[in-house]
Amino acid sequence: MLLPVVEYLPQTVLSRLEIYMTLESEWEPRIVGFLCKWCSYAGADLAGTSRKKYLPNIGIVKVPCSGRVDPLFIVKGLRMGFDGVLVSGCHPGDCHYQTGNYRARRRLAITKEFLEYLGVEPQRIQASWVSASEGAKFAEVVNEVTREVREIGANRLFADERNGTKAAKGS
Amino acid sequence: MKEMEQRLQKEARALLEQGKVDYIIGFEPGSLKFTTTPLITKDKEDVERLVINPFIVNNLSVFLTELQGRVGIVVKGCDSRSIVSLIQDNKVVREDVVIIGIPCTGLIDLSKVELVTGKDRDELDDIAWQGDKITVRFDGEEKVFPTEEVLFDNCLGCECPTPQEYDILLGEPRPAAPNLTASRKNLEKLDGMSSEERWDFWKNEFSRCIRCYACRNVCPACFCKRCFVEESEPQWVLPVPRWQDNLIFQVIRNIHVAGRCTDCGECERACPVNIPLRSLSKRMYELVDELFQFKAGMDKDAVPLMTHYELEEAEDFIR
Repeated sequence: MLLPVVEYLPQTVLSRLEIYMTLESEWEPRIVGFLCKWCSYAGADLAGTSRKKYLPNIGIVKVPCSGRVDPLFIVKGLRMGFDGVLVSGCHPGDCHYQTGNYRARRRLAITKEFLEYLGVEPQRIQASWVSASEGAKFAEVVNEVTREVREIGANRLFADERNGTKAAKGS
Repeated sequence: MKEMEQRLQKEARALLEQGKVDYIIGFEPGSLKFTTTPLITKDKEDVERLVINPFIVNNLSVFLTELQGRVGIVVKGCDSRSIVSLIQDNKVVREDVVIIGIPCTGLIDLSKVELVTGKDRDELDDIAWQGDKITVRFDGEEKVFPTEEVLFDNCLGCECPTPQEYDILLGEPRPAAPNLTASRKNLEKLDGMSSEERWDFWKNEFSRCIRCYACRNVCPACFCKRCFVEESEPQWVLPVPRWQDNLIFQVIRNIHVAGRCTDCGECERACPVNIPLRSLSKRMYELVDELFQFKAGMDKDAVPLMTHYELEEAEDFIR
């Protein structure tokens, strides 16, 4: 999967998710990663320029800050049939906007716990802190997340057996 | 309860006559037996219609964000916490509300009464408090029930029977005696399930949802002018009531009101298809307390949960 450049409008986020879901192939974990522009996205870039190999299962959506990640993005990702969602931002204290990642952390904590209570597997919602200099860590995170998601299998959470349509098409 | 009612009518009349408030929000008898309905009035003659009884279920603080001017409002403990939470969010100015507090003894759940008596609510003659028990009269006989059998689940676990914030208190403050096991009865069932069973449970419940948005409209914490479900650019959630979208609506709604939800139980009571919504909101209430030691609406000077952060907190899930 290619690394696209994405703008920040919600429409763009949504259409990006749709593009990823229309790529047809045999079942492979499909993971959507929301990466902060300042740290994790640059970290992913570094992984590329330093020729680090990582699994191609992740599709990346660039966001201005991990604080931009609305819990709705995560739930919508699962609704569209992504097998896992990764949110990644700057380490605490390194946020370009001072406090964005602290807010993201609070929001992610309740989102993750609450979805687990509803019955979503904990492995499907992942988070990491990756700085711009941690290309190797980014590659490692993607590999680990993909391995964990592969273990729990395809996301059938929102699949609708009643009319046989694929959850991904119900957006 | 009668003295409380008379005192309320007197106080409400005085507030309107002295021009201290423009509106009074309270409860009047509903059109059906054992129901009440909100009364919003400017007319001092209307105060005669105000009532206090164990059926005043509505959380009236939902009207505060819609009214202009100074408002006198009748509240129970849980409603007062919703007002405090609105003050925290700068939605309501403390000086603009005159809070008339009721030291609440708990509200009676008619469906539980129907269950224990085996009678329809129309066949019952009277339901009343007698000491700390509840007596139900029907067919010429009288039966006494302990509170656990007839009160709402959230009332049994009430942490705040006396309003948190008030200007006038109708009666003596009541100490809190929360019965956690009784108030978590529905949640305990869910805790015992595996994650697949839980997902199937909610899938099943939400396939009944007709997306009337009653839960959202009665909720004082849901004060957005434009709800995300009504957005069309982009359309995150379909307006068609399919279970997937119904579930997403409710999940995101609960995340939005995290730190504002006071466990008043109005969403569950408003639901026309009886989805156990309180099992979701109560869990969120507990989560917020576990993770951030935050209880909604306890202190009007506290910073709202989601606009604040600590340098060191819950992050063991982050790589």
